[in-house]
Amino acid sequence: MAPFEVKRSNEEMTLMVRGSLDINSAPALAEEIDKIVATRPSKVVVDLSMLDLIDSSGVAALVKLYKGVRNVSGAMTISGARDQPLAIFKLLRMDKVFNL
Amino acid sequence: MAAPIRLSVPGTLRYRPIAVRAVAEAARLVSCSPHQDPRELDPLALDVRHPFDTAVVSAFMEIFNNIAIHAYQRHGGGTIDIDITLTANDILIEVKDNGRAFDLDNVVPLPTDLDEDALPEGGMGIHIAKTMLDDMTYEPGPPNQWRLYKRLPPAQVAVGRS
Repeated sequence: MAPFEVKRSNEEMTLMVRGSLDINSAPALAEEIDKIVATRPSKVVVDLSMLDLIDSSGVAALVKLYKGVRNVSGAMTISGARDQPLAIFKLLRMDKVFNL
Repeated sequence: MAAPIRLSVPGTLRYRPIAVRAVAEAARLVSCSPHQDPRELDPLALDVRHPFDTAVVSAFMEIFNNIAIHAYQRHGGGTIDIDITLTANDILIEVKDNGRAFDLDNVVPLPTDLDEDALPEGGMGIHIAKTMLDDMTYEPGPPNQWRLYKRLPPAQVAVGRS
């Protein structure tokens, strides 16, 4: 199963991330992020309900997406963060920015 | 005290999953966290839901990244030697490399007021490791040596042994 998957509808884009988002997997996601931002989406939902582990490189990739979507006047939200990934977002005090 | 668990891997990110898995399983020996229902879990997935396991694994991943990227400059050429010492209520992970020394004092702290405009895209790894652990030290070498220490909170010791 692919570590991430993008679903598009008329209203929004959903990015599902699975398994581990880390220094080994983040570069591939960064390429996908560039493609997402290039479509100038109005709304992007990042679904982390299947994400088990994240490190600082994974967080940086999601921050890059957040800033990229904002730069094209869109909005990004994160849903389903749990366990270790949620702990990392809280430690970095990003839980409030992402409304986790 | 049991004998240390010793692991030596080439100093590149390719071998990171092996080291992370060893550390995760070692942490679980201290936290005594129950396994997830195997019917719901990918047998190759890491289960680090317990806060102790979360802290230990999160910190170790960042230090491994740091060594592979800064000490060995992503080219490898040396090993990462990991010694894990467990007791009933704590874990000590000593990590050695023979790459370039890291200037821990030069790490820029994260901004205290984090808003949408100040979200960092780097420099978070050392902050994560330091905050997750009870103690973290670094001595430049050779060999460079990281020392990561985490204690299981007393309430969780009681739960783990019940």
